[in-house]
Amino acid sequence: MEFFRKTLDPVIALGAIAVLDIFLFLIVGAWTVGGGETMMTGLIAQFFMGDAIYRIPFWQEVFKPDAGYWKIYISLGMLFGAVVGAVASKEFFWRFPRRISEWVMITVGGLLMGIGIRLAFVCNVSTFFGLTPELNLGGYLSISGIIAGAWFGSLIYKRVLEG
Amino acid sequence: MSPVAQCLIAFVFGSVVGLLVQRSRFCNTAALRDAMLFKTFRNTKALLVAMMILTIGFTGFISVGAGNPMRFDVGINQVLGLFLFGTGMVLAGACTVSTWVKAGEGNFGAIWALLFTFIGMFLFSLVWSFLYWPPAPSAMTGELSLERLQLGFANAETLQDKTGIPAIIFGLLQAGVLLFIYQRIRKRERGQGGDAAASP
Repeated sequence: MEFFRKTLDPVIALGAIAVLDIFLFLIVGAWTVGGGETMMTGLIAQFFMGDAIYRIPFWQEVFKPDAGYWKIYISLGMLFGAVVGAVASKEFFWRFPRRISEWVMITVGGLLMGIGIRLAFVCNVSTFFGLTPELNLGGYLSISGIIAGAWFGSLIYKRVLEG
Repeated sequence: MSPVAQCLIAFVFGSVVGLLVQRSRFCNTAALRDAMLFKTFRNTKALLVAMMILTIGFTGFISVGAGNPMRFDVGINQVLGLFLFGTGMVLAGACTVSTWVKAGEGNFGAIWALLFTFIGMFLFSLVWSFLYWPPAPSAMTGELSLERLQLGFANAETLQDKTGIPAIIFGLLQAGVLLFIYQRIRKRERGQGGDAAASP
């Protein structure tokens, strides 16, 4: 099938995703990822800690663990869709970072993303595909933050690339 | 709508997004990083097109009272949080979407980034439980609060309510700004010539 042999133009892909996101906005709410990831964090923590998790006020007052939270299933769907795409196009294979510096950057980067999402209450997806198109003030604040952060991260990235 | 139906719709939406992002190699991190570091705009243009469509679609439906816009107070925490996030996504080489998509391609680095995103969220939940900042949804007032560094809540709905001008008018203005940026990029690429100009 041609779809799985050639790389799709990202303008067409993102155009299609935007149209679908409008339907999602009408039914439940715009596309977001950070909220679902937070709920997954809560569910994983609850799995290991049991009811002790409720001694941490955040998990009582902000995100009470709930497996029926719809945003979780967007992320799981993305994983599923990516596996289907990768397997069908014969692009699935295990890859591992090779250098220690890559492991360090990914670890620090992952931590910063998690902390940043919870501090802001939004992620990059809500910023670009939800808040800003809704003309929400938070979208403009978030865009200024993410551009400054990406610029700062790029300086570090460049320095590491240059060795 | 029942919670099960909501979850099902979310899963179907996510599956199509995962497939399209995997096949197109779109990456939000690259949309910002490559524009800044390498002056290439393949992903940036796609991001701008999506934002134009969404702006017109969302504000159009908000004009007639339809849709489910996000409602919560915003403030300095959005700037700080997304600054940390933006730095992190460039270091990790993936954003929230591409971590899931790359994980689905067998990229262990993306799985590792996802694991540490969860750990970062959990660590922040501990910090929040001491600071109680930014305010929990139940403590949000929708009003300006300087002591809590919160600006309140404003979006296309509140613009329409306060000005009496349909939200779609503001949406068209924003889409026009995005189109202007998109055309500037295209002009720059044409000036550079070569493959970049040939790409859509």
